[in-house]
Amino acid sequence: MHVGHIISGAGHIGLIGWILFGGAFAPAPEPFEVTEVAMISGAEFDALMTGTEPPDTATDVALPNPPETDEAPAPAPVRPAPRPTPPAPEAAEAPPPEAAPTPPEPALADPAEVQDEVTEIAPPPQEQAVIAPEIADSPVPRPAPRVAPEPVAPPPPDAQVDDVVREEATPQDNADTPREEQDATAPEEATTEIVTEAEEAPAAAPVRSVRPKARPNRPAPQPERTETAEAPATDSTQSAVENALAEALGGQDAQGTSTAPTGPPMTAGERDALRVGVQRCWNVGSLSSDALRTTVVVSVQMNEDGTPITGSIRLVGQSGGSDASARQAFDTARRAIIRCGVDGYDLPREKYGQWQEIEMTFDPSNMRIK
Amino acid sequence: MVRFLTLLAALWLMALPVQAQNGPLRITIDEGVIEPLPFAVPDFVAESAAAQQMAQQIARVVAADLTGTGLFREIPQDAFISQITSFNSPVQFADWRAINAQALIAGAVSMEGDGRVSVKFRLYDVFAGQEMGAGLQFDGTEQGWRRIAHKVADAVYSRITGEAPYFDSRVVFVAESGPKGERQKRLAVMDYDGANVQYLTDSRSIVLAPRFSPSGDRILYTSYETGFPRIHVLDVASVGRRVLENQPGTMSFSPRFSPDGQTVIYSLTQGGNTDIYRMPIAGGAPQRLTSAPSIETAPSFSPDGSQIVFESDRSGNQQLYIMPASGGEPRRISFGPGRYGTPVWSPRGDLIAFTKQSKGRFHIGVMRTDGSEERLLTASFLDEGPTWAPNGRVIMFTRETQGAGGQSSLYSVDITGRNLKRVRTETGASDPSWSPLQN
Repeated sequence: MHVGHIISGAGHIGLIGWILFGGAFAPAPEPFEVTEVAMISGAEFDALMTGTEPPDTATDVALPNPPETDEAPAPAPVRPAPRPTPPAPEAAEAPPPEAAPTPPEPALADPAEVQDEVTEIAPPPQEQAVIAPEIADSPVPRPAPRVAPEPVAPPPPDAQVDDVVREEATPQDNADTPREEQDATAPEEATTEIVTEAEEAPAAAPVRSVRPKARPNRPAPQPERTETAEAPATDSTQSAVENALAEALGGQDAQGTSTAPTGPPMTAGERDALRVGVQRCWNVGSLSSDALRTTVVVSVQMNEDGTPITGSIRLVGQSGGSDASARQAFDTARRAIIRCGVDGYDLPREKYGQWQEIEMTFDPSNMRIK
Repeated sequence: MVRFLTLLAALWLMALPVQAQNGPLRITIDEGVIEPLPFAVPDFVAESAAAQQMAQQIARVVAADLTGTGLFREIPQDAFISQITSFNSPVQFADWRAINAQALIAGAVSMEGDGRVSVKFRLYDVFAGQEMGAGLQFDGTEQGWRRIAHKVADAVYSRITGEAPYFDSRVVFVAESGPKGERQKRLAVMDYDGANVQYLTDSRSIVLAPRFSPSGDRILYTSYETGFPRIHVLDVASVGRRVLENQPGTMSFSPRFSPDGQTVIYSLTQGGNTDIYRMPIAGGAPQRLTSAPSIETAPSFSPDGSQIVFESDRSGNQQLYIMPASGGEPRRISFGPGRYGTPVWSPRGDLIAFTKQSKGRFHIGVMRTDGSEERLLTASFLDEGPTWAPNGRVIMFTRETQGAGGQSSLYSVDITGRNLKRVRTETGASDPSWSPLQN
């Protein structure tokens, strides 16, 4: 009996104690503190404050001084007074005449005569950068995108599209026979065939294409093609297949063979190595906020040793900014490619055919400071 | 037929990877580094014996301008492998590449007998091995050599960064001297870098808050000459000045020009209520733009002149508001905790700079014109009165140190929050206002 009481008592005491202690761990005050801390903006300020604090230090302040001290003793017109002059003496004496400030004024007007003009000579500029944007004309839509058996002239501007041609009829006061009011209709404009840019008269077309044709890098398929060519061409299916095949492989066959080895496809690791290799030198620190909104696509030809051919670096596309900012962005990209490629990028030699030409998209959206 | 089409489709699909391999290798670079661009400025070539000293000085000022932006780093001259001895001889790019100079500035100075100076320069992209843009020549007077140097630096800065130039500009400020209790204040103008200081007024009366006109030829400021604050206009060239607004029994202050330079907006206190007014600079009847019983002050025009941003405590707390330039219902744009004041519209039109007071600290900050994307650029015991560089990339402001011996001085900071630095002035300085780019 006693044993039962003791066990029961001990159990209850233990339970009560556990509740007390357990309860002691989660008292009310804690949550209140949490809500107080939750003044998010306050925390933001602090973060921002500490973020901007470092430049506060004396090292920053000292920065502009060195060049100035260099200069100070040299030029005659500049007041040689060194910085640490105590504020007192000059202040006390300066006030006397009302017209005191007048004498130095002419100096204000004089330098305004500074004028700029372009010098005569511009030594060997190989400005691919300037030529490139001219090529990248955006395509103009075809005048009549609709194809019909018979060509149809453009309908009058406010006519509705309909199969039947009807003239517009509007109520007229002096008309003898009242005609039902109706809108003018006309068939939609059409041509018999779609004329593509390639077929168009070359008159205004740029001489150079947007991007040079890919270099042939897979000589292997050639024998296959000759095989299909020898097959009897009587069957229409067969000839269509042949045409499709020829079209698919046409680019490289037309240009003959190249000795560049292609090898297996580039692995993700190899691509990443190249990307990281260029990123190390892509310094956007000196770009304007406009240029930091501009994505540029840069094309570069590579030597077999992994070094870029400096003269081949061209701007082939841009988006998000003006032409001027695209030029700064391109200059920066070009510097990156050349600088980090001085010793050659880490690219697999046996796959040269695949990286003989590289198109890099430089997208600064992650680097922008809002 | 179906079989035939399927076959065609299959062939086309097969052809795809082949074509992909045929094309160039495509990669996307979306991460880079942010660091100052290393450049080299050898001493300019002196094309006449008299120009020797100036050739060195100009190169030093160009280097100081570029380095001062925080976007460039100068490579010290003793690291140079080769020198530029003639302006027209070809550049040995390999020598400059070896010391990692990414931009090279080569220039020449010639002086005529009559005090005329002619400076030309070329900017090279060392790694591309070619010039960036055409060479330029600047002519001017001997006293104007600093301005010529600033123009060279401006051209280099613009070509590399794509930002509009700003080195060839001036700053008007209040020069302060004497102990805090009896501080003497004079209006002064200087080059943006602190050189060529000229005093425009004497220290007999307290002057405050000077503001350049959009063409840089006139300055508005507030003076206590009569015992009450009054707005004055000062002609920079002749130093002639006149009182702009003088209604008895009122106080007028915090003036600013409209972008066309024809109108002045300012605050006027009458019977304990402060409101915003505008009036033609040539004189004429003032027009009242606000009429709340609260304090409205520190107005600033948008660059297109259509809107005005100002501070008001109508909500019980000092905040920023925007209203049409002709008056009308204001729209509140600042909502954070703390107090916002002295808003200034950026010359680019995209941002508004302001002073913010929060938890006993002062900050200079920027926000978009709709109040979004607020960023605080500085923090100290007392930062106030921001003013924009002509290109909207840099902000100058007053920083005052704590205590009885507290000193005011001018600081500048990039709108990225980087490159905070002190502007060197001979005396204490406050209330800067940046001029437009000089012509």
